[in-house]
Amino acid sequence: MKEPQQLINRYKWYEIVGIYCGIFVFLSFVLSPFVEGFLVSLKPLSQLFSSPYRFIPENGSFAAYRTMWESVPGFGRYIFNSFFISSIVTAVVLAMVVPAAYAFARFEFKGRGTLLGAFLAVNMFSGAVLLIPLFRLMRSFGVLNTYFAMIVPGVAFLIPSAIWLLRTYIMRIPRELDEAAYVDGASHFYTLRRVILPIAMPGITVVAITTFIGSYAQQFIFALTFNAKSEYMPLPVGLYAYFGRQEVIWNELMAASFVGIAPAMIVIFFLQRYLVSGLTAGAVKQ
Amino acid sequence: MGQLYLNNVQKFYGDFEVLKSIKLEVKDGEFVVFVGPSGCGKSTLLRMIAGLDSTSSGDIVIDGERVNDKPPVERGIAMVFQSYALYPHMTVFENIAFPLRVEGLPEATIREKVGAVAKILQLEKRLEQKPGLLSGGQRQRVAIGRAIVREPKIFLFDEPLSNLDAALRSDMRIELSKLHGDLKATMIYVTHDQVEAMTMADRIVVLNAGQIAQVGAPLELYHKPQNLFVAGFIGNPKMNFLPVRCEAAGPEGITVSYDGQTVTIPVEPRADIVGRMLTLGIRPEHTTLSGGDLNVTVTPSVIERLGINTVAYASLPTGEPYCALLSGSAPIAVNTPATTGIRIADCHLFDEQGEAFERRIDWRTAHTEEAGAAA
Repeated sequence: MKEPQQLINRYKWYEIVGIYCGIFVFLSFVLSPFVEGFLVSLKPLSQLFSSPYRFIPENGSFAAYRTMWESVPGFGRYIFNSFFISSIVTAVVLAMVVPAAYAFARFEFKGRGTLLGAFLAVNMFSGAVLLIPLFRLMRSFGVLNTYFAMIVPGVAFLIPSAIWLLRTYIMRIPRELDEAAYVDGASHFYTLRRVILPIAMPGITVVAITTFIGSYAQQFIFALTFNAKSEYMPLPVGLYAYFGRQEVIWNELMAASFVGIAPAMIVIFFLQRYLVSGLTAGAVKQ
Repeated sequence: MGQLYLNNVQKFYGDFEVLKSIKLEVKDGEFVVFVGPSGCGKSTLLRMIAGLDSTSSGDIVIDGERVNDKPPVERGIAMVFQSYALYPHMTVFENIAFPLRVEGLPEATIREKVGAVAKILQLEKRLEQKPGLLSGGQRQRVAIGRAIVREPKIFLFDEPLSNLDAALRSDMRIELSKLHGDLKATMIYVTHDQVEAMTMADRIVVLNAGQIAQVGAPLELYHKPQNLFVAGFIGNPKMNFLPVRCEAAGPEGITVSYDGQTVTIPVEPRADIVGRMLTLGIRPEHTTLSGGDLNVTVTPSVIERLGINTVAYASLPTGEPYCALLSGSAPIAVNTPATTGIRIADCHLFDEQGEAFERRIDWRTAHTEEAGAAA
């Protein structure tokens, strides 16, 4: 038997039509570039400039997904670089942010508010504003054209928002759990490792995902400025290789874009397993 | 051993004095209950004994050793929190084993100790479950298990039953009393529920606005409250207070007048009180519909009939509430004036500062005497 719907979820037919229209409009804005990109990747290059333009490819094929590896032989390496840089950035950010967020959430110390405010202020600068000073800094340290040059700024710019995110999450974990552990003789690190970390897992996962995506997105500008070696190029810069002297190989470019984001998608789907809600059920009476 | 001595313990939050010079001695194996209205500082005092809050001044002494600067685990205390504070990601076994794991005991010892505790608390079948699957009472038992597994000198309970429903609460009350009998450990228990205090305590500490209002055995507080606050706080329904005028004081007691009647109440008089306004206290359960040495006529506005007794609520001419607890189904009606009688032996008398004049009874035998008189 079907459960009768709750009153608050009951809509008139025209309301439902309105809701779906709204969803459709927004989704088409967001998704149509992806759809068009995918369609382009299926078309032979000649058809792309045909007039009148046709969205649905005639005799479309996945040929571009094969030929892209031949026209840019280093493409596999670019995907690896992107993945590698983002993974390291995420790992470093997590290693620093988890203890920091715990401290910001739980301990009273001098300058806590100021520090948090400063982190927020740093976030307001876009990385692009600081590119020139950063470039000079990297040059004087002699770390230009290394992975290091792309990882460190990435970490630095992602830490503030990660601290804010995770701090809010940890603040929602009842303080009595810390106190109970303290009464039982546990040190702060023991409490963090055995009590807070497991409970904060969904929050840490959210931070990991946003950091990973953030790092993927911001690589482009750092790689373009601080790196000139093609073997260290991440994916977004590597895609430029499809811009030939005379023409852009659009269909292969689109195919490469989709292939390039696949590893990131896989990581995110994997991390999503840890986004379980209700993990704190039974901790305290609410 | 689990002796506790608080020597002039004070606590300030900024300029606000939360606890004012608390002095208290708790004997080994005693069950002491801190009771008081919310905001009186009872939880703060408990957290200071636990080591979760710092002490502004004064000494906390456990077994002859000053522990002010020691962390909780070195004080030999264990605490049960109001909200249980169970670790939601661990099984019941791991929750109880947590303090032992912190200590770094070998696995076999941990199994043995947790097993023993689970047996005492009847949690053997729940050991592999997570707290989320347990009922409120079971969660509270796990929290208690985590406290007793370490075999501390002193147990601290911070309103452990206030999250349970009424039926479960009375069951857990009995279980806790039994546990105290079995473990013979010192227990300090904070509650705002006077029934918990009266039923479980060896001694009750009544706190009011950061000060100890009175310390004593439950029946001592009931029969010989030292001041108006304790008199009004202990007992349900609350004690009635009548404004009376002191006419004379002598060896038989203090003679007071109320509403044109004069009675002599058997309490220890003090000098220079004749002519002053005093407060006469009478518990609702000590009023009757007939007889008595002093009569109070009131018009009940609400009557509750509970079968075993009848509770009538009225107002005195001064606007103060007046309540009478009459046995059985009493022949009274709403908005119809009724006269209640009071025996002078049941009366309490307080001076203008709210301090009691000592009653001439022995609280240890007061109840048996009454029972004898009734028979």
